[in-house]
Amino acid sequence: MRPFDPRLVGRIGPARRYVITTAALGAVTALLILAQALLLARLLSPVLAPAPLAEDGLGWWGRLVPEGTRALATGLAWLVAVVAARAAVTWLQERLAHRAGVRVISDIRTQVVDHAATLGPRWVASGEGASVTTVVTRGLENLLPYFVRYLPQLMLAATVTPLMLIVVLGLDWLSAVIIAVTLPLVPVFMILVGLLTRERSARHLASMDRLATRTLDLIEGLPTLRALGRERGPAARVRELGDAYRAATMSSLRIAFLSGMVLELLTTLAVALVAVTMGFRLVAGDIGIETALAVLVLAPEVYLPVRNVGTHFHASADGLAAADAAFSILDERAPGTQTESGGVAPSLRGRTLHVRGLAVATPDGRRWAPSDLSFEAAPGTVTVLRGSNGEGKSTALMAMVGLLAPDSGTIHATAPGEDPHLLADATVTVERATWSAQCGWVPQRPDLGPAGRTLSLGQRQRRALERAFASDRPVLVLDEPTAHLDSVSRAEVIEQIRTAARSGATVVVATHEAEMIEAADVVVDVLDARRDSEDHPHDEATENTAGGAL
Amino acid sequence: MSDLKESIRDTGLRRWQVIKAVSAGTMALGSAVGLAAVAAWLIAKAAEMPSPADIALAAVIVRFFGISRGLFRYLERLASHDAALRGVVTLRERTYASLAASGSRTILGLRRGDILARLGADLDAIGDAVVRAIIPTWVALTVSALAVAIVGYFSLLAAAALALCLALAALLPGLLTARASRIAAERGGAAQAEVSAAVHSSLDAASEHLVWDTTGAVRDELRAANREAEAAADAAAGPSAWAAGLQSLASGAALVLAVGIGITAATAGNLSGPGAAVVALTPLAAFEAVGAIPTAMSQYFRSRFAARRVRAMTGQSADASTATTATTRTSRTAATTTTAAPAPAPVLVPPVLEISALRAGWLASEEGEASIPTRPVSVRVEPGTSLGLIGRSGVGKTTMLLTIAGALEPVAGTVTLDGASVGEETTGRTVAMTAEDAHVFGTSVLENLRVARGDVTVDDATEALDTVGLTAWVAGLPAGLDTVLGSGGGSISGGERRRLLLARVLVTPAPIHLIDEPGEHLDAAGRDALRAVLDTMRKCGRSVVIVTHDVSLLDRADQVIDLDE
Repeated sequence: MRPFDPRLVGRIGPARRYVITTAALGAVTALLILAQALLLARLLSPVLAPAPLAEDGLGWWGRLVPEGTRALATGLAWLVAVVAARAAVTWLQERLAHRAGVRVISDIRTQVVDHAATLGPRWVASGEGASVTTVVTRGLENLLPYFVRYLPQLMLAATVTPLMLIVVLGLDWLSAVIIAVTLPLVPVFMILVGLLTRERSARHLASMDRLATRTLDLIEGLPTLRALGRERGPAARVRELGDAYRAATMSSLRIAFLSGMVLELLTTLAVALVAVTMGFRLVAGDIGIETALAVLVLAPEVYLPVRNVGTHFHASADGLAAADAAFSILDERAPGTQTESGGVAPSLRGRTLHVRGLAVATPDGRRWAPSDLSFEAAPGTVTVLRGSNGEGKSTALMAMVGLLAPDSGTIHATAPGEDPHLLADATVTVERATWSAQCGWVPQRPDLGPAGRTLSLGQRQRRALERAFASDRPVLVLDEPTAHLDSVSRAEVIEQIRTAARSGATVVVATHEAEMIEAADVVVDVLDARRDSEDHPHDEATENTAGGAL
Repeated sequence: MSDLKESIRDTGLRRWQVIKAVSAGTMALGSAVGLAAVAAWLIAKAAEMPSPADIALAAVIVRFFGISRGLFRYLERLASHDAALRGVVTLRERTYASLAASGSRTILGLRRGDILARLGADLDAIGDAVVRAIIPTWVALTVSALAVAIVGYFSLLAAAALALCLALAALLPGLLTARASRIAAERGGAAQAEVSAAVHSSLDAASEHLVWDTTGAVRDELRAANREAEAAADAAAGPSAWAAGLQSLASGAALVLAVGIGITAATAGNLSGPGAAVVALTPLAAFEAVGAIPTAMSQYFRSRFAARRVRAMTGQSADASTATTATTRTSRTAATTTTAAPAPAPVLVPPVLEISALRAGWLASEEGEASIPTRPVSVRVEPGTSLGLIGRSGVGKTTMLLTIAGALEPVAGTVTLDGASVGEETTGRTVAMTAEDAHVFGTSVLENLRVARGDVTVDDATEALDTVGLTAWVAGLPAGLDTVLGSGGGSISGGERRRLLLARVLVTPAPIHLIDEPGEHLDAAGRDALRAVLDTMRKCGRSVVIVTHDVSLLDRADQVIDLDE
């Protein structure tokens, strides 16, 4: 996986600003670390040198800290300033990181949610859509460690490491060579170890996942087991699954930690080699003490950001995966080929809705629900759609308010003495807003937004129905309006539905409750076409119109 | 605090496991300190231009530390993770066992799926306390002591300064992080819940808001929730930033002091050159271990909250009122007695269920206020008959069912089986119950039936599934009866799930079965299945009590009681 997703900078404003600030702070940190190392060399060398120091051992970079800092008082004053500045930069970086991380998450979350809402109910209900909630809540939280921990280290690796390498090269080319040779080995070995172990880790991860799920499943099912008097047995099974989980996890960790070991081994060993090599060259008089001290202090600093990047690599992987998921939702385009080129919807007051041969593919695309549904809903009547679960009653209702495009079939609005007005077919629809604004649609499990947050499901259902009855919209489309209600409320709702129809509304209801069906003027069976061709018993219920009979 | 301590005791973690991990961790980070100290000594000694042999040993030691750090770090990570995993496995088993043995009120009261779903994560978080809080803290202590000892060998004053700075770097940031964690957990947690609610509303109900032109309101709600989450994170970030800044400052101060003391002593001739180098440069590597303290502290807090939730769920929390603890203890003792006794013999003659003047309701507890009890109910259910309980939502139908099952104490009246009161030992065994949210396990269809009775044969299963009309469904599954269902029954539809639960009712051996709201999500064919189940139960002489708000389901019931009257 790439360490960085350019889309974050390209499309998320707060991320862009943060990356720029962090890079700048990284550069400042690099200079401060350098100054600290040079100051330590300046301060210590007079005490350690066998003879008074004649020349400047720090070369070109020595200009950063004047030779005067060899004096204890001056040097310490400089050191105090550098130390204070480093603490301040650390504070600032940490302060900005949290704030920026949370802003980026908010920003992406809002974008994704807004975008997903435009993709339509079909998409939200499909497999991909269902994962949106997970992505924008728990998934995006993974971006926080990415921004707070990983990204700053990445910036330091991009600023401190090269700068230090250049400085070491200027001070002592042999040490620079040792570092330059070992540094690329770090990513090379990590990638090699990663590649060699990828398949095994994937296998381990899968089995760990399976075992964890099964354990949790047993715990989750405990109330059920207790209610059947079977709660004692599975304790042993929990242990068994747990032991298997531990074995699987440990063998995966034994491999996963290898790359961490390679990283630490290479970086520490390289620092040790630089120190030892310089020691022997000091003895031979090939290198000055001031230079040697500066290189000794700088060498670990070259590797530190690289090591930290490696340590926080997993934070990066999770965060980037979340960002990737979010961007792939943002790049999603609404399915279907329908355009809103049918003009403004006619007033639906007093017009009959004609549904002919309506068919919509299920989200998995394997069948039609509804398939070939035809009926008409006239003003002043209550039309009930009835049928088994999954035959497409709700889908048909959504198509009738313009939320879903038919895959085939048509929906017309007609009035006596005028040409039928096409509302929607597979390719064209009237402007959705002008259509659905005339429809009082109450879905199953209505939400009601912030107002519904504290209400129970039954209360929300009642409130949503009341909103529909009070809205004076000419078409009322109600999906299972009597579910989740007790018998008293149910009777009241049915009465309200009748009243609405009496006052001229076109009412379409999906239900399988007998009392609701009894209250209907027209009952339409929503049937699977294949089953319809079999000998399906059109039973005793009121049946003014039958599905597919038109 | 004691919750986490108790939970960690429950992990059965052995002292030597922790000592092993701490030793390896000390060797790893100690290698870094050792490398810095010996390398400083080596360079300083070399500057005196002795013979190469004089620095040969130091060179070997430096190379050794170069290798040992990575090796011991690897060993430490393996040792600490192994200890934590072993602990979590034991903890899981013990938590499961104590949940299973706690009163049926505790278990059957655990209806909110999210709390149970959270249990797994919480148990892992307790394990993480070992890996990320306890072991790093001990390693910080030992490595800091090591660094102070190295410096102290050359200069006691410098050692004291280093010890002081190390203590500052550990304690102040630790306290600040604790504060940040508390803010994040309290304010941040609440904000997060609002964000989730707003996201759900915006996404799942997008169409509804489109039609009713309320999209703006939900969008504003999400933005407000986002802003609150940002503000909460910002509030927590303040102390975190100070923690990081102070750590940097403390390590810098240690460096300044060490350089000052080392050089002054060397100039005065009280300290050799190499000694001064060690004193001055060791602090550069000494602060890595205490750097882990803030992370350890926030992990400690996460684990502590997790432990509190886990122990509250199993009724063991030190923070819960003593009354609950006492009740749970009693019921657990009762349960243990039952385990010790031989398994109850199968009930040959189905008992008569006699309910007299029964009022059901929840008593006030720390989980909530007392509910209004139901009206008194008296009824006698003869073997092989069925009773329907209807009533409006919230009247206490489910509570009544739990009371009949013996999982709740009646508010008034009695429930008896052939004259003996129902209670802990009859729940599930004589009086079984299928809740509205009964669990479909992530295992095969057959095993899902064996949940009720271990010796269900393929023929038994086929017959039960046929009665509920699932024969065609099973035939359509890739591996028939052996097809593994998604956990929580996710891969089966609502109607199929209901029918599978009805098939489970058929194979349950208990002579009396209580069924809560079997009609939700059932279409006409599903209702026929329910009738077939009632007929079969009647033939076997088993009694059924059904609770529902749908009176049309009760056409096969021998008696119907309306709780609304």
